[in-house]
Amino acid sequence: MTADGERMVFLDGSRLIIEAMARAGVGAYIGYPITPVNWLFAGAKQRIPIALEAPDEITALQWSAGFSSSGVFPVTASAFPGFALMIESINMSFMMELPMVIILAQRLGPSTGSATTGGQGDLLLLRGCISGGYSIPVFCPSNLNDCWDMAAASVHTSVNLRTPVVLLTSKEMVMTNQNMNISSLREVQRAERHVFEGNGEYKTYGVNGNLAPPFLPLGNDLHQVRLNSSTHDMEGITQKNSPEALGNTERLKNKIEQRIDDYTFYDHDRAEDADTVILTYGISAEAAREAVGSLRSGGDSVSLLVMKTLLPVPPRIYELLDAYEHIVVVEENISGLLRELLFGNRQDGRVFGVNKIGNMITPQEIAEGVRQCRKPS
Amino acid sequence: MQETILNDLKMPYCPGCGHTVANKSMSKAIADMDVDPLDVIVVSDIGCTGLVDPLLTCHTIHGLHGRAVALAMGIRMGLEHPEKKIIALQGDGGATIGLQHLLEAARHNLDLTLVVQNNMVYGMTGGQTSGLSSTEFKEPERPESAVPGYDICALAHNAGAAYTARTFIGKDTSELWKEALSTSGFSLIEIVEMCPAYGLRKVQELHDTADYESVVTRNSRAVGMPHRATGRSLLDGLKPIERTCDAPLDGRLEIIVAGSAGEAIQSAGDLLSTAGITAGLSATKKGDYPITIGTGFSVAEVILSRDPIHYTGIDCPDIMIVISQDGLDKVQSRIGGHTLVIADEKLGTELGGSPGPLDPPDQSGPSNVVTGDFRKTGGPKGAALAAIAHWLQDNGFLPIEALIEAASRHKHGDKMKVIIDKAVAA
Ligand code: SF4
Repeated sequence: MTADGERMVFLDGSRLIIEAMARAGVGAYIGYPITPVNWLFAGAKQRIPIALEAPDEITALQWSAGFSSSGVFPVTASAFPGFALMIESINMSFMMELPMVIILAQRLGPSTGSATTGGQGDLLLLRGCISGGYSIPVFCPSNLNDCWDMAAASVHTSVNLRTPVVLLTSKEMVMTNQNMNISSLREVQRAERHVFEGNGEYKTYGVNGNLAPPFLPLGNDLHQVRLNSSTHDMEGITQKNSPEALGNTERLKNKIEQRIDDYTFYDHDRAEDADTVILTYGISAEAAREAVGSLRSGGDSVSLLVMKTLLPVPPRIYELLDAYEHIVVVEENISGLLRELLFGNRQDGRVFGVNKIGNMITPQEIAEGVRQCRKPS
Repeated sequence: MQETILNDLKMPYCPGCGHTVANKSMSKAIADMDVDPLDVIVVSDIGCTGLVDPLLTCHTIHGLHGRAVALAMGIRMGLEHPEKKIIALQGDGGATIGLQHLLEAARHNLDLTLVVQNNMVYGMTGGQTSGLSSTEFKEPERPESAVPGYDICALAHNAGAAYTARTFIGKDTSELWKEALSTSGFSLIEIVEMCPAYGLRKVQELHDTADYESVVTRNSRAVGMPHRATGRSLLDGLKPIERTCDAPLDGRLEIIVAGSAGEAIQSAGDLLSTAGITAGLSATKKGDYPITIGTGFSVAEVILSRDPIHYTGIDCPDIMIVISQDGLDKVQSRIGGHTLVIADEKLGTELGGSPGPLDPPDQSGPSNVVTGDFRKTGGPKGAALAAIAHWLQDNGFLPIEALIEAASRHKHGDKMKVIIDKAVAA
């Protein structure tokens, strides 16, 4: 009775994320235990060639940077408390231009909050985590298929741009089992680093057209490699604020932003004549899909825009939103982080928030938000 | 002439600074050992020690304050070339902030060398004392700064370092560097030296005020290196769930199974989900239990649906299966007017009477309560399964064959099937 070629299994997002990353070429997983990344860690121990337990999250990131600089692609995972400890080292890796993925599984905060309750409270932390306001790419899966696709995209983007990348998810995505036909999963290509070739002069941060410099591992026999976390010139030598060094720092911003179209991912489910769009990401997207279904079957034409590339904010998102009179932003926090990211602190009547903490936002609450947003205030 | 790892730039240090001497010793040791500069990776820390970075002709990586050893560990574990020498350079400030990393490197006994240039002050920021400053090296107006410093050689030795040595600057220390660099495993050299800008100026004063003695210690241990596995696909091992029957269910059914830790509640939830998929439905399941998973409640939330399931939350379930007081305490507030409760007999004894365990808070009462002696049928680990089987037999949302089929996939499938049979017969 099963359709041809179908492989229906019952599995969780953690397993898909780790498997996709392994296929994309992840060579090391460095973890420090924290709920809700338990299943990611467990999967990595079975799947990733090197899986290590670090004694703390600062070490986890430093080891990751060490692996990355010697040519092995590393992944680590944590929740806010551990991620907070990693931030200085993520800045270091950003500055050194070391590819790696940090999986951030959100849970209810502030602080240690509630380890086994989901949440969507870390978006603006990611927006500001690099000193100077530079963006690191942040991807966010909205369902099991995305766990696969966005995990692979994280690794590829990280390698292509030579930058740390965050895969932002939440407890409900990585610790819920669901049925899935895994034969529908896309093939994942291995991400290959753009390696410096030839015997000419090599400058660690020398770029040639492409804004991400070609890579050579520490310890290679051909050229001296100088990785540096401090402001540095193209050779990797510390400089206070020489034009070359400041130009290099500016390049770090440009290389991420200029290629945003290469890694802009979203689902836009547009209804004809819709004046309202539900805008959301991550775990709230699934409730929104259900809400859209029930609203439409009740005759209410409403669109849905699910962001999967959250940072830097893709310009395409604004273009899509321009078509709507009402934007209902759904996220599991009470501060409206995505709303603030996109529309600032002074939002006009076009923007309406559906927010809560402690439990997932329900389809009914989203439908109610859609009705509310159209009422004249 | 042997290659040196120092270029001809002028050392950036204050006159008389110990770092100048230490770096020359490093370079001499590398040259004497005839090691190619490209076979050396120097990991430098923040602080005056790290200022040597631009002078080096080997591979360099200049990171964060205190983290050089951790970074060096990552490089060693990532590199597949054991012949490459990895040297981490830190001051006493870096060793203080990164003490954990130092102990970790010693514990793993990874093949790398850490040199701590201990001049007992933070030179770059105004001469504050560090965790490695000697008792005599206090700030006069802050007598509390005279607590004893860490003996990092003893700490590293006790943590398992292959080689540790402490020496005083003032002479060529290249012999110690050579010893450290030719040791397999983690080696640490602490060089007690001067910061003329903020500390002591004369070598003699250094000897007089430091609490330290020259030492050399060794541990004979296996050198650490992470295991590299092939890795098994996380998907290939998953046995596809064949659809073997049809469920009459039309729409969405939300089910909560609640009991205590150790009562196989999660596997009962998995089994019910698998049964649903076997009968052509979509299924989701999530678990809820205290962080101390060996005690207290265990709750499985299962959704079965004819259509794909997006939203995986349950507020008031359609069905609630409760087999212990822990479970009931956890989920009782979620019983709604439409909820069918299937409860172990012991929880149901007070049903129908004045306030008992199954009285919902809203006093409206569950629309329907069914009880059974599921513990007797299934034993403590099979009670939830017995209750599920009993319920399915009763109302037919899923054919019982689907549950039996799901059980047959399980490693304890035979036992499960016996329980299902008993529950159906009861
Ligand atoms: S401040 Fe002290 S440690 Fe730094 S260079 Fe000068 S003498 Fe050396």
